[in-house]
Amino acid sequence: MLEIKPIFNSLLRSKAGAVMLLIQIAITTAIVSNASFIANDRIEFLTQETGYPEDEIFSFTTMTFDKELDLSQKFEETETMLRNVPGVKNAALFNAVPLSGSGSGGGLRLTPATEGGQDVRTSYFLSDENALDTLGISLIEGRNFRADEVIISESRDVFPEVVVVTKALGLELFPEGNALGQTVFFGVSPMKIIGITEPMKSAWLKDSRPDNVSIMPFVGASMFQKIIVRTEPEQRSAIMRQVEDLMIQDHNKRVIIGVQGMDDDKREYNSSDILMLRMLITLIVVLVLITGLGIFGLTVFNINKRTKQIGTRRALGARKSDIVRYFLIENAIICVFGIALGAVAAILMGQMLLESYSMPALNSIYVAVTAIFIFIASLLSVVMPATKAANISPSIATRSI
Amino acid sequence: MLSMKNISKVYQTEKVQTHALRDFNLEVKEGEFIAVTGPSGSGKTTFLNIAGMLEPFSSGEFMLDDVNVGTLSDNERADLRNQKIGFIFQGFNLIPDLNLYENIEVPLRYRGIKAAERKLRIEECLEKVGLASRAKHLPQQLSGGQQQRVAIARALAGKPRFLLADEPTGNLDSLMARQVMELLENINTEGSTIIMVTHDQELARRAPRNIQVVDGQLADFTLYQNKSSDSVSARVEQSIAEV
Repeated sequence: MLEIKPIFNSLLRSKAGAVMLLIQIAITTAIVSNASFIANDRIEFLTQETGYPEDEIFSFTTMTFDKELDLSQKFEETETMLRNVPGVKNAALFNAVPLSGSGSGGGLRLTPATEGGQDVRTSYFLSDENALDTLGISLIEGRNFRADEVIISESRDVFPEVVVVTKALGLELFPEGNALGQTVFFGVSPMKIIGITEPMKSAWLKDSRPDNVSIMPFVGASMFQKIIVRTEPEQRSAIMRQVEDLMIQDHNKRVIIGVQGMDDDKREYNSSDILMLRMLITLIVVLVLITGLGIFGLTVFNINKRTKQIGTRRALGARKSDIVRYFLIENAIICVFGIALGAVAAILMGQMLLESYSMPALNSIYVAVTAIFIFIASLLSVVMPATKAANISPSIATRSI
Repeated sequence: MLSMKNISKVYQTEKVQTHALRDFNLEVKEGEFIAVTGPSGSGKTTFLNIAGMLEPFSSGEFMLDDVNVGTLSDNERADLRNQKIGFIFQGFNLIPDLNLYENIEVPLRYRGIKAAERKLRIEECLEKVGLASRAKHLPQQLSGGQQQRVAIARALAGKPRFLLADEPTGNLDSLMARQVMELLENINTEGSTIIMVTHDQELARRAPRNIQVVDGQLADFTLYQNKSSDSVSARVEQSIAEV
């Protein structure tokens, strides 16, 4: 037996507490819908597949201060030394580290830059024939660089004639999917696409084209040289600890800095997103808790105020379950109106965020899930005080205050 | 219809045992109007609470229309209360946020009576207590006497086997008290059984049967008006003498 009508009428006659709670539920629904949507968007961003075996890769920078040294020659030896360390799968010199937030970008075009036309944005890595293996990236079409195609030069006046691109970049350059074997221009330098790789992310996850990546066979050893090493995953931390000593043994006029795993690089680059995610989750938890406590408190207050009424209802034939149901229905009525108001507010707020902060548009599923969640949370907050109310003795009805 | 045999009620605290009722015996017959009097603390309210199944008793046997109340579950007691008993409280106990109509509706809803029949009964009962025109009013818009009449209408609406009234005129001035008493007398004339707890001797005397609770035990003035000298009244006098 549902008593919706009399409970609703009775709520209309003493609105103050109910309206406060309704507003609180509405605000919670609006904020939690948007916050959980944004949080989920961030989680998807943070946990996206990058293409790299991040737990196998680390990088470091070598600062060489031996001005007499033939850098290119020395680094060839260094690479060989590193590849021979037990547990190391491969190592290569790179101009930049993927996912680290620091790298090189430019445009690839179908015609030389002098002839105008659109270019397609790419993040590019300069390395040698070991690059793909060092990054743990496979080819899906074509071939890798041959050693003789790698330009080793400390100046940039010679430019490689071949390039390997990701599938996404290939498709953007050649939408028909026939990128392999085509010639593209980097500025005015022509390069033939000899390989298409599986997806990998650029140096910047937040780039406008994070999937457009190209690798060019060019090693320009410098005083500040980045080296990337891929190891067996369980041996990475041990090798990271000994890499400085190994490098100094190899040549003592250098300093090793920034030894860092690729997953840590990514975490640093994403730290503001991680912070935002944590704050959003805290906000959601705090808001839901406060609303739950609010409902709990109001129910306790209502019960204390209505002790005699509850006793009277019991005396008039209410079962304990009727009393519990009364408070559940009362709460459900407030909650339904609060959630309805909150859903409208959530959508308006989503539009505002979309316009003002170019956030993605709020998915209404989040509003629905939040609404259901808040409804359940609010009912749970009522159960305990309502059960307490049901245990009020009916004999309280005959007690004169 | 109501029979109590050796009913005792003991309130137990950590150190003290209080006997609110001891070996309480009472038979109530259909159509009786009984006034229960007694000094405060004598056990009147405890008796009323037990008779109305508002609280359990410690020992003894309580039969209500051949149902052994002592064996019932909490839900069964609630249902039995709802079906058999109409309560009239000293403080009226109307629900302030419900209008008169909705107040009277409360026990009918708990019984699961259909809306159409509820409407008929409520209107009939409001008519009976002379407040038909005020169905939409809230309790606080009425005088105390009117509120008590609403409470009586609420008690009657379920067509209970008997009415339990706890100091029904206790919060009313004498004029309103008389009106309420007259209403109860009319209801009794129409066949309802009434048990009324009061401390007002004058009011009690208007009831055909008086019982007095003294120190948790029964003193029965059943034959107050009939001047009979059966064993009951002899026992009563004896118990009064003891007091």
